Amino acid sequence: MKLHRDVFIAGVGETRFGRHQVDFDVLGRQAALEALRNSNIDRPDVIQSAYVGNGTNGMVTGQTVLKDLGMCGNIPIINVESACSAGGMSVYSAIKDVSTGLTDISLAVGAENHSLHMARGTAFATAMSDIETIHGAVMTGKYAMRAKRYMHETGATAEDLAMITVKNRRHATNNPYAWFKGEISVEEVVNSRPVADPLTLQQCCGIADGGAAVVVCSAEMIKKLGIRNPIRIAGSVVRSGPYHNRPRDITGDDITEQTAEQLYEESGIGPKSVNIVELHDAFTIAELLYYECLGLCNKGDGLKFLRDGESTHGGQCVVSPRGGMLSYGHPIGASGVAQIAASVKQMRGQCEGYQVEPAPRVAMTHITGGGLSGTEHAACTMHMLVREGTC
Amino acid sequence: MSEIKDQKKDGADITFFHPDLLEVPADGTAPFLKGYRCQGCGQLDFPKLSLCPRCWGDGFDIVPLSRRGRLYSVTDNYTGQAGMRTPYTFGYVDLPEGLRIFAQMEGKVGSFVCDEEVELVVGPIRDNRDGQPIISYKFKKVKSLSGGAE
Repeated sequence: MKLHRDVFIAGVGETRFGRHQVDFDVLGRQAALEALRNSNIDRPDVIQSAYVGNGTNGMVTGQTVLKDLGMCGNIPIINVESACSAGGMSVYSAIKDVSTGLTDISLAVGAENHSLHMARGTAFATAMSDIETIHGAVMTGKYAMRAKRYMHETGATAEDLAMITVKNRRHATNNPYAWFKGEISVEEVVNSRPVADPLTLQQCCGIADGGAAVVVCSAEMIKKLGIRNPIRIAGSVVRSGPYHNRPRDITGDDITEQTAEQLYEESGIGPKSVNIVELHDAFTIAELLYYECLGLCNKGDGLKFLRDGESTHGGQCVVSPRGGMLSYGHPIGASGVAQIAASVKQMRGQCEGYQVEPAPRVAMTHITGGGLSGTEHAACTMHMLVREGTC
Repeated sequence: MSEIKDQKKDGADITFFHPDLLEVPADGTAPFLKGYRCQGCGQLDFPKLSLCPRCWGDGFDIVPLSRRGRLYSVTDNYTGQAGMRTPYTFGYVDLPEGLRIFAQMEGKVGSFVCDEEVELVVGPIRDNRDGQPIISYKFKKVKSLSGGAE
């Protein structure tokens, strides 16, 4: 979107990701309260609008999250759903309010609990009204087809894909918010049980629960709150997937490529200037393809980019420094917000044990959403964040 | 609302997935998918859409689509949708008309590869609410597993 005035992130919050015995609203509330407190907000009447992303937990999720915080009654609370992009879209919506001057400060929350509500041993499917769903489509299988084609065209192996899991789990080793972390070998990844050929269990993000929140505000509000380390929103883009039932290259991703191009143009920041990226690594193959789609490297050079260490500490751009979805798991409504929360902490140097050095100045996030026949994804949301000097 | 729900529950579920998409001729000739060519702009689509997304035309001529295509990509699913038996295989089939069809594959799990030629068949894709198979389009290898061309 075209930003009409500067918008900043004041504070962020995230819960530990994994299986939780408490429902989405508790997780969302915990993250929201942390983001509010980190924004030096100590009462319920400061926030002027709130957006709450959730994919599967039912109706009026936002009001359910925020009622105990005393925020129902005075402000619009708007519920945002677009499968995995729901959280990212809630941040986009909060930014839009501040950018246009509709509000001076807004809250975005993402929260989801799958484990209390979803049958174990099943994969995410799209709506049964979709022609692919009735024929058996699941997200794991759709990504597996991308992997199969990529391997067919490039000669990449299952071991190559597994290196993504190895890297991201290593990044997450000391991250208290991540679920699966630490050393894992290529062999362990490849030999874990098959999910959708060639993807094995350890190449798929866990079906997790979690919450995350971001407070966005104007420059005046940053001063008023006394925030000394503001993060500026340099760009915020949401696009919907181009629809057609004709052949397309699924080793690329039309919606990601278009969203990235718009983000680079609007932010004035190119891919080679980005220090860290959190992207939609729901499956190993996705991260590999997105190196190319995001322009971090040239088309066809994704594997080289990985092998050369360009996507880890010391490389051109640390991809998935928090460990990505392959470490956090993927509570679909929460992930988009959590990517931004984790990136802000990196830029503020608050990630002891998993900090990118030197503290990144430019961070980018990318999250797609939803399987819909005739599209690669129904939605894609991206953000560009820049660390400003001390106010 | 509950009355409507109950009526639906009492009625039998579908056993054939959508006559708008698949024609199985009564005379025993080979089944085919139905393409929809917009009478306004000529764009060909599958599946049938409510309007032509290019020109908003609402008149279509039905075009029988090629029964053979190229398997662009494929996967064997060991974790599937709730209620579906695993493993099952699906893929994208590119037809010469420039259309891509998502479909289940009929044949041995693990036997399909990218870019092989496949052919339309009719078969069960899943069970309905009543436990009866739902019949729809699928694709199988053009060359049978024994190696002979059909």
